[in-house]
Amino acid sequence: MSIAIETTALSRSFGSRTAVDSLTLSLPAGTVFGFLGPNGAGKTTTVRMLAALIAPTSGEAIVAGHRLGTADHAIRASVGILTENPGLYDKLSARQNLIFFARLYDLTAARAEEQAERYLRLLGLWQRRDDPVGGFSKGMRQKLAIARALLHEPPLVFLDEPSAGLDPEAARTVREFVKQLRADGRTIFLTTHNLPEADQLCDLIGVFRTRLLQLDTPARLRTALFGRGTLLRLAGEPARWLETVRALPFVHAAKLRGDALAVTLDDPDQQNPLLTAALVAAGAGIRYVEPLEHSLEQVYLQLLGDNGAEASLL
Amino acid sequence: MNKVLLILHKEWLELRQERALLFGMLLPPLLFTLLPVLIVYAAGTAPDEDTRALGAALADPALAGLTSLELGQAIVGRQFALLLLMTPLIVPSIIASYSVVGEKTRRTLEPLLAAPVRVRELLFGKCLAALLPTLIVTWVGALLFAAGMALVTVSDRALAAIITPGWITAVLLCTPPIALLMIAACVAISSRVNDPRSAQQIAAVAVVPFMALFFGQLVGVVVLSPAFALGMAVVLAALAALGLWVAVGLFQRETILTRWS
Repeated sequence: MSIAIETTALSRSFGSRTAVDSLTLSLPAGTVFGFLGPNGAGKTTTVRMLAALIAPTSGEAIVAGHRLGTADHAIRASVGILTENPGLYDKLSARQNLIFFARLYDLTAARAEEQAERYLRLLGLWQRRDDPVGGFSKGMRQKLAIARALLHEPPLVFLDEPSAGLDPEAARTVREFVKQLRADGRTIFLTTHNLPEADQLCDLIGVFRTRLLQLDTPARLRTALFGRGTLLRLAGEPARWLETVRALPFVHAAKLRGDALAVTLDDPDQQNPLLTAALVAAGAGIRYVEPLEHSLEQVYLQLLGDNGAEASLL
Repeated sequence: MNKVLLILHKEWLELRQERALLFGMLLPPLLFTLLPVLIVYAAGTAPDEDTRALGAALADPALAGLTSLELGQAIVGRQFALLLLMTPLIVPSIIASYSVVGEKTRRTLEPLLAAPVRVRELLFGKCLAALLPTLIVTWVGALLFAAGMALVTVSDRALAAIITPGWITAVLLCTPPIALLMIAACVAISSRVNDPRSAQQIAAVAVVPFMALFFGQLVGVVVLSPAFALGMAVVLAALAALGLWVAVGLFQRETILTRWS
């Protein structure tokens, strides 16, 4: 399996302030990587380093097969980037914007025209191709900026908040587009504050605050932090059965979650029958048994240390 | 070179959509061309013996022997001829401040810097985008000025006293370095300001040395001979080279992204 990005102790400081502290990661090609963290965590600085926009203070990186610091021009030619601000030329038309950038990425004039048309059509902007971008809505500008990042068919794409500020329909279009890019074999490095979106899209999640706190698949992060478990919807008041469940030897923890019981278990597959049998024996009526799900938001907040105790099970 | 031309083309596409900028670029040279024609014509209709006492008249032997009408036109015409050299001060500051500060305020620099284009190509493209219109506007303006003088001067002697070899040398050789110096100044200023108009206003300080030349000629301290014009061009070229060296230092990817306020 080839590696799209490999960093070793990559760091960046601005004076006495450390923005990125010793980042080490290895991203397989063809994954969607969610890079999560609070504002000011150093995510944009990380992206800028990996896209060869700014130099690291120390450490090394191989990006799209090129060594950072010695092959920066090649890195820029091999990656696409959607920056935090779309940065489009308002006085130029959508097509002019795309063709200009396509040519900067060394596409021939004919290929630039072809790619501009392809992506304008793909993203539903073909009808507005000759309109000045200054009159575009936020969603249209974002889609155009995404198109700009993809014109030269880069194997690695950095998307900084691709659906920020978009209406639900436009956000869904962007998500579907990212899924298509993954299906095409591209590596997507995604920074987002939209945790449900990251949960939907990402194969790997990295939670970052100046340094990498955790890197794993969403499922393994959930298991590592919260364990596995079962959600039981019971007839009547669930609180009645809370102590019964807690008394069972194989139950790590049990808590009310709305009108249900959330139970943490080592092995739900083996222990669910014992759990349900114990409740039935105690007189409970079981309406539904579901896997206990934790949202990515809970994972994120747990890792960043906010509301740690309450987030442990819910 | 290809990417330089791409950037130049993009700058042109943007510039031609900015009517206010185009107007601002063309108005000063238009004024510097049309207004002198009217005033030199007027000077040719009303002789003034006091003109002979002016420093400018006394300092240049080439003006000796001219009639009062001819001398009046020559003095006025020469001062306006010098004003034309303000064109390469004004025009590039308008274009370059829009081009550089404008990209900064519109947040279009980062995607541009993320592309595989070398910073020197980017800067060179922007410099050309400011330099070429300046050269065209200045030299066409100078031609129109000369043509206008030919129409309104009372004699060939008066015309020769205005359209002098020194002035021609100054227009041809000093215009490019003046323009480049202004462009370099705008790039340097752009790193600190967030409004193209602020950049233009700060760059307007460059008028001060020009005004020294203007009044120097009027009082007779300066005579714009070919040697003087050549000397000016050499000094300006050296300053432009220094200015561009500073500008290149400020216009670096990392500096723009991390330090431009």
